[in-house]
Amino acid sequence: MDLHDLTAAYALDALDPDEAEAYERHLSRCDECRDQLAGLSEAAGALAFGTVAPVPPPRLRAVILDAAAAERTNVVPLLRRRWVARGLGIAAAAAACVVVGFVVAGMQSSHTRDFTVVVGPNGKATLSIRGLATAPHGKTYEAWVITAGAAPRPAGLFSGGASSTVHLRGTVPQKAVVAVTVERAGGARAPTTSPIFSTPT
Amino acid sequence: MAARSEEWALAELYDRYGRSAYALALRVLRDQALAEDAVQEAFLTVWRTASRFVPERGKASTWILTLVHRRAVDAVRHEQRRRGESLERAAEPSVEGVEEDAWLRLQRERVQEALRRLPDAQREALELAYYGGLSQSELAERLGQPLGTIKSRMFGGLSRLRELLGEPGTEVSWTSTT
Repeated sequence: MDLHDLTAAYALDALDPDEAEAYERHLSRCDECRDQLAGLSEAAGALAFGTVAPVPPPRLRAVILDAAAAERTNVVPLLRRRWVARGLGIAAAAAACVVVGFVVAGMQSSHTRDFTVVVGPNGKATLSIRGLATAPHGKTYEAWVITAGAAPRPAGLFSGGASSTVHLRGTVPQKAVVAVTVERAGGARAPTTSPIFSTPT
Repeated sequence: MAARSEEWALAELYDRYGRSAYALALRVLRDQALAEDAVQEAFLTVWRTASRFVPERGKASTWILTLVHRRAVDAVRHEQRRRGESLERAAEPSVEGVEEDAWLRLQRERVQEALRRLPDAQREALELAYYGGLSQSELAERLGQPLGTIKSRMFGGLSRLRELLGEPGTEVSWTSTT
């Protein structure tokens, strides 16, 4: 197999996996093929625009952004990522995430707040909030993880604003509730006000 | 909260290229659910591997669409093996009922015009490989041609396509970094 001949097929993703691997190894040693590939890939890439573009289902955007936010909380990236990167692994990982998302109408204004808690397979969770007013001076928002029979556990402070992403401290066990209260700056050890938001039990 | 701005950048990237990505995946896969998976996997690969997000036109679109295409091709081959038959593919879907963005329409017309100007055999090889997800050996078998012929059709087709797309008068470029 003459590897120089495979440039166009590689640019079109028309090689079998073993051929593609062999070509990539060759590419690291062959300047000529690298130059040629740059040009041919550009042309192949243009083909992507040669087809009609239907609008993707609106949920796809949220699915991708939620999955991305959840991944940043995964603390064992290397092994997991490798596993996830294989074929259907990603779909499986996404399915293993518990996504609790809902919209709460703002109390003080007509703004709609959007709270989403994404719990990864390892229990790590990310809270995303949009449309929450910035905490008043001297105050902060505090997230809590509340497990039946235990005191609420402080899980992170944030200041609000157009959009907040909070990587919750610790893990969120099944059936736990995630809540947010307004506390004095620096946070409290236990909630002192009623939650402005909490996930359903 | 460094991740926050990155999440915005990912959203921005999706808003710019999500549609092209989905269109490409759907063209190759012919199945909405599989196309959505391919798009999701591609964007998550970007998310995992980007050290920093710069949602600029040129490079980002090339990168994302390359990832989407690979995923889609892998999936279509996997699906074929599973079903034990080749899926009927590569026909251009209808424009009817699709509300097109002016920029995307312009790109599509430009690429399709360039494809039309290729010799039939070259166009067929490019379309079956790129949109159909056929490997070069599958192409050779399907078209009843030696592998060498397929290779030179793909090479000739892509080289000519590149020239046609680079011709002046087609000033709209997707490689410009705005």
